[in-house]
Amino acid sequence: MKKIFNKIFAPALILLLPLISLAQNRTLSGVVINEKGDPVSNASVLLRGTTRGTTTNEKGEFSLTVPTATGNSSRTLTISSLGYLFKDVPVTEGAIRIVLTSSAASLDDVVVIGYGTQKVANVSGAISTIKTADIEKVSAVRVEDVIQGRASGVTVIQSGSPGVKPTLFVRGIPSFSGSDPLVVVDGVIQTLDDFNSINPADIESVNILKDAASTAIYGISGGNGVIVVTTKSGRKNQKAQFTVSSSYGVQQLAKELGVLNATEYGAMLNEGSTTAGGPVIFPDLKSLGVGTNWQNQVFRAAPIQAHSISASGGSDKMTYFLSAGYNDQVGILGGTKFNKSDFQRGNFTANLSFQLTPQLKFIVNASEVLLNTKGVQEGNWNGVIGEALNFDPTVPVYNNVPFTTGTYGFSKLLVQEVHNPLTSLANTYNRNTGNKQYGKFEFQYDLLKGLKLTTRWGYTNFINNATNFSPLIFYGLNNLDNSMNADGTTVNHDHNSVSSTRDNYFNYNWETFANYNFRIKEDHHFEAVAGFALGRDAQNHLSAGKQDVPFNSWTFASLQAATGANTDSNTLANTGSYSQLYSRSLSYFARVTYDYQEKYLASFSARRDGSSEFADAKKYGNFYAGSLGWLVSKEEFFTSRLINFLKLRGSYGSVGSSNGAVLQSNSIVTGGNYNNVGNSNGYYFNGGFYSGSTLGSEINPQQLGWETDKQVNGGFEIAVLNNKLSLTADYYTKKVSNLLFKGFQALFVGTVPAPEANIGSTKTTGLDATLTYRESIGKDFRLTTSLTFTSSNSKVTATNQDNTAKMPGNTYYNGQNYTVTVFQAGQAPGYFYGYKTDGLFQTTADIAKAPAQAGAQPGDIRFKDVNGDGVIDSKDQTKIGNPFPKFVMGWNLGLEFKGFDFTAFTYLSYGNDIYRAYERNANYTNKFRNILARWTGPGSTNDGRDPRYSFTDLNNNSRVSDRYVEDGSFIKIKNLQLGYTLPASVTKNVISKVRFYVAVKNAATFTHYSGFDPEISGGILASGVDQGTYPQSRVYMAGLDLRF
Amino acid sequence: MKKYYHIAVAALFLTSAVSCKKYLAKTPEDAYQVTALDYLKTGTDYQTMAVSVYTPLQWLNQVVPVGDIASDNAVAGGESASDVLDLQQIDDYSLTPVNGTLSNIWQFAYEGVNRANYLTQYKAANPAGQSVNFAGKDALYGEVYFLRAFYYFTLAKMFGDVPLFTDKRLDISATGQIKRSPKAAVYLTIESDLNAAIGVLPTSQTGAAGRATKYAAQALLGKVYLYQGKYDSAATVLQSVIAANAYTLVPDFKSIFLLAGENGPESVFEIQYSSVGAASYGVQPAEQGPGNYQVQQCGVRGLTASSPLMPYASGYSTNLPTQDLNNAYSPGDQRKAATCLDIDAYSAANPSWGIKYLVAPYKNTGLYSQKYQPYIGQDGSSGAFQLNYPNNYRTIRYSDVLLMAAEALNKSTAPNDVLAQTYLNQVRRRAFQVNDASHDVTATGSSLYLAIINERRLEFGMEGERFFDLVRTGQAASVIPGFKVGKNEVFPIPSTEVTGAGLTQNAGY
Repeated sequence: MKKIFNKIFAPALILLLPLISLAQNRTLSGVVINEKGDPVSNASVLLRGTTRGTTTNEKGEFSLTVPTATGNSSRTLTISSLGYLFKDVPVTEGAIRIVLTSSAASLDDVVVIGYGTQKVANVSGAISTIKTADIEKVSAVRVEDVIQGRASGVTVIQSGSPGVKPTLFVRGIPSFSGSDPLVVVDGVIQTLDDFNSINPADIESVNILKDAASTAIYGISGGNGVIVVTTKSGRKNQKAQFTVSSSYGVQQLAKELGVLNATEYGAMLNEGSTTAGGPVIFPDLKSLGVGTNWQNQVFRAAPIQAHSISASGGSDKMTYFLSAGYNDQVGILGGTKFNKSDFQRGNFTANLSFQLTPQLKFIVNASEVLLNTKGVQEGNWNGVIGEALNFDPTVPVYNNVPFTTGTYGFSKLLVQEVHNPLTSLANTYNRNTGNKQYGKFEFQYDLLKGLKLTTRWGYTNFINNATNFSPLIFYGLNNLDNSMNADGTTVNHDHNSVSSTRDNYFNYNWETFANYNFRIKEDHHFEAVAGFALGRDAQNHLSAGKQDVPFNSWTFASLQAATGANTDSNTLANTGSYSQLYSRSLSYFARVTYDYQEKYLASFSARRDGSSEFADAKKYGNFYAGSLGWLVSKEEFFTSRLINFLKLRGSYGSVGSSNGAVLQSNSIVTGGNYNNVGNSNGYYFNGGFYSGSTLGSEINPQQLGWETDKQVNGGFEIAVLNNKLSLTADYYTKKVSNLLFKGFQALFVGTVPAPEANIGSTKTTGLDATLTYRESIGKDFRLTTSLTFTSSNSKVTATNQDNTAKMPGNTYYNGQNYTVTVFQAGQAPGYFYGYKTDGLFQTTADIAKAPAQAGAQPGDIRFKDVNGDGVIDSKDQTKIGNPFPKFVMGWNLGLEFKGFDFTAFTYLSYGNDIYRAYERNANYTNKFRNILARWTGPGSTNDGRDPRYSFTDLNNNSRVSDRYVEDGSFIKIKNLQLGYTLPASVTKNVISKVRFYVAVKNAATFTHYSGFDPEISGGILASGVDQGTYPQSRVYMAGLDLRF
Repeated sequence: MKKYYHIAVAALFLTSAVSCKKYLAKTPEDAYQVTALDYLKTGTDYQTMAVSVYTPLQWLNQVVPVGDIASDNAVAGGESASDVLDLQQIDDYSLTPVNGTLSNIWQFAYEGVNRANYLTQYKAANPAGQSVNFAGKDALYGEVYFLRAFYYFTLAKMFGDVPLFTDKRLDISATGQIKRSPKAAVYLTIESDLNAAIGVLPTSQTGAAGRATKYAAQALLGKVYLYQGKYDSAATVLQSVIAANAYTLVPDFKSIFLLAGENGPESVFEIQYSSVGAASYGVQPAEQGPGNYQVQQCGVRGLTASSPLMPYASGYSTNLPTQDLNNAYSPGDQRKAATCLDIDAYSAANPSWGIKYLVAPYKNTGLYSQKYQPYIGQDGSSGAFQLNYPNNYRTIRYSDVLLMAAEALNKSTAPNDVLAQTYLNQVRRRAFQVNDASHDVTATGSSLYLAIINERRLEFGMEGERFFDLVRTGQAASVIPGFKVGKNEVFPIPSTEVTGAGLTQNAGY
């Protein structure tokens, strides 16, 4: 071995000698400070052109061993640190004092990109960055809370439900099947869902890779963008540093909706009934009073808290970052009184690195997360929120009817579907207990100067145990949904039931790659990476259900205690199922970036991805991207004093997406499952059940392949006014083809769901921009403000062969099932589809003149005859709204004065429409206050939103129309925080930092939307349809940060 | 250092050496999917798959209310004008090609056709190319042919010309490739399927009520002939059912429709339903389960009573019989009370029961379909809300065979009105519960014909026959307000089949 090494590599090494100085060394020391004279800790000090470097300690001091030889490149130190301009200083004798200038654009920050890092100045792709300082001021529960409005190019629509994943997309909506970007945590592949488990306090930075040039190295996974999360780590030779932070807050409902009080409700029911020729329902309106405000009953102030503690440091051989965190957000729906909505998380992280030999480094990151959640049915007209809005206000809170069981009151009129929300809330029982481990084992080996081998095994293992109990419920006398009689006995043939499910996924990636950084003739700088990756994702799902839980009690809601046993007539008493699936991937990737004097930039990357989910002919996909950049301000001819920095850049490339494609085949479905749509297959002969079997979707799997995504990006970065003001802007187009879309299948093919095929396409164009301004006045006052702008305009350009295919969204119920959103060629993804209103019919003469509209009477809505055929029918449905904003903006303002700091974050969303689908509109459900402006006679109103009110609605005024579409544009003051840091003189020697703060989240919302909250999250085909969405709460909180 | 270097290099080589092709290989079996090649290997596989050809029958439960609502027998009803819009369209003759009820019927019937086709496609050899023979294979295929004929008959009588394919189960690639075939060609296929079934089916299915029999196939063939005006052929095949003496009329007409009356002596073919198993909103159309959703529809909305004697459960108040139908019955006809439930009269007759129902339904007639009322207990119902009732559809009753035979004999090239009267009067005597000629029809010729058609209305009221009888006998335009000749004989082809699959639309839609 030794011989071989000597024979082959020693000569090679000698050839490289000019680059490696083998001469004697000496130790250099110095201190890095900022303009104010404060030490800059954790600044990187690098001997230019080498990998030799160190970081400063908390006093800003460093020491570095450098060769004394007079090499042409080893005479310069490059110092860089977050938030400061980088600085080159010559190596001089004696201690060096280096003053860094704070930088608005942070051009010398390093961004973490795929399989490496890159200096911001050298980046020629489109990347958004969020740093730890921003994250600390947000008190976030999920990482997305930090991203919203702070990273241009990313649109986030948050949910109010504790811990629930928001809608997030990078640069528009390429596909109905998914818009989730890839998530990479410390190099380990995860998903957006895994953001429920990361403690934002552990995050060092979040980089969002947006264009093809940045994401193509992730190939098939990069199509929807990549979010690269880097967690904190310790530093070499750093004294142990401890941080403790703690916050506590109270959440409350920010806005109550206007529904009718009991007297108004009674009057409307009387009018509706008598107009329809029925009797007066409430002869004595005066006795009704104001009745019960159900929103008051279900929404309650609820606590939110977060606590974390961490320690970081290191010796010259190892570094560590250890942290523990606890978050608890109780939902305002029911609050602590009902305790049915809750998100609790415990985080434990250890990030360790060991320098085993001078060349070999071992890194292990390990995190353990415990999740405890409880949820309430929401986003549905008969969910608790829907019921709170639609339930009968004449009903008292508590049941006062003698000889009936049940704690809460019930309606004599509403006897199905919509119940007392408190009854629903009190009878909601579920518990999710999750346990996640994620992390990596990584070896880095410095083979030669500038050449490093890395092999890394990253994993995520998640187990979730869920228990759900459906008790027997008495909703009220004569209620059709009762499973319990008024006397507490069980309704015949009904059962309570408990179900338990266990979901597990275990995903791992093993990546091996080599990074090689080198220069040719000093001015030509190359950074290259090449490697390959193996991955495996596996999931399994186990569930069991059992009826007859003893005492109808949550206490005994377990499969152990339940006694259900199957009989011939009841095969659902004891059920169970198990499923498992896995997929494998194999990838090769490479990238070269090049710069000439940090002036001309270029990069090229390629990836070849293979997946077990595709047939042999389509197993592999190849993706390429390239980018070019020009630092104009580095040119000698560029002498502008105003412009400190100017970079132009452009990129083009292809990425892909498998969007959850799974291997499909013509599988046989056996057994007697009646729940499987289209494949029900049993039958009853002589009353006995006979199992059947049928065929599932029969397709040729050879047809399925990757979605491909071609992107063009052009942008610039500019800094002026001594780097105080900087602007980054990018314009892009993104064309996605081979979209996995269910082709249109004629109904005569049967009920088997249509298989997916690569037939659709979309196009998105948009603009991302970030404007930052930074100012210091005197020694004490500092201002940082930034504005992000994100616009995206997506259009579906093809769906199937003749573009007739439509993908309808979720249904909602308003007397019958309706769908609002559609994914269809020629339109924005998930646009609203329905009738247009055109005022109201005032007289019968109006109706006679208008296009034929069946059932119309004076006071009814006049619908637009869009196709002009003289008849109002289904052909007149058209575009009535778009749930996604035309643009969103985020405005961050940070002020510091002496020990005080103030942060304000404001978010704006423009052009997002909302479809109001929480109104049930049954005869006896409560109405909303706008009904008071209804048509009451000719000339009373001509507003298409306010037709007459009648129990019988021959005109079907409640059909899907723009009557229910509202402009959901909003400005939200999302976060206000005021902090005070004790002066160092007070805390000296005891503790290095003490900061108190108070904050208000969701302080104010300015919108015309009449519902709770204009942020309506959901999938691509559910966003913007408000079916009683969990509103985001207003939070008043206080916190404490300590460092010692 | 060198050691580590070599380890690293070795590791690199090792990982590269992983057989990449093998790593990504995956078969359906790796995903635990049973594929077509793994199935139809034994007789049991064939028998199990044949069961599934029956399943879509259950999903066709809306054909029955459509057959009455589209006629003078019933109105759509429902909670309000905006309830059950699909049925309101059919009732009001404001039909459009966008109608969920109709497109479901279309799709469900074709699911049946495709399932049957899959079995006929692999009759001689299974997908793996092997021939599988087992006892009873021919008779099993008789059931499959019967069912395919039943599905195509449903399609042809509702939509006229429809896509016709018998060679295979279609997949998505057939979209746009298949055109509609003339109704006559569809009927020829139905006849050939039924004749094939008649040749191999047993005359009874002991212990497996619900399976097709030879007589069911003959009776259905007779009906198919009648729909085409092939009276001679109809007379022959229907008389052979009667001659077999396999069926008798049940004296108590009302009892036919009770749970105990299911698969009784008058039953030639029944679609079997069960209340066991799931049925819910949301995941699937409510009618696509093992239960009879129409029974829930026919119940009285918000019906409650304080007395446990009350037999009826509440429902949705749809498919309400008209007063016109109620008045069509002569005094003494036991079928009147067995067909139309007058809820006010019923309530008045049982004053101590505390019967209440919430509000008059839309287009209230005061009447509800008695034959398919939801019963508490009787039909496995607790009286609580449920979508899946076990009430079978009495699809072909012996009285239907008799009346069809009478009609065929009356219209034959050599009419036999005497025998026609005999068959007709058998039905009438049972209706009036007499053994004499007091209610017999003595008319002949075209008067007899009209009497037979009218008798069909009375005998099969609320059983989904009326609209189709009116259309095939040419009476629809004179009886149904809003009916347009040349258009409304058939329902519109579902719009997506026209826009998406390139089928032609029926005239006038």
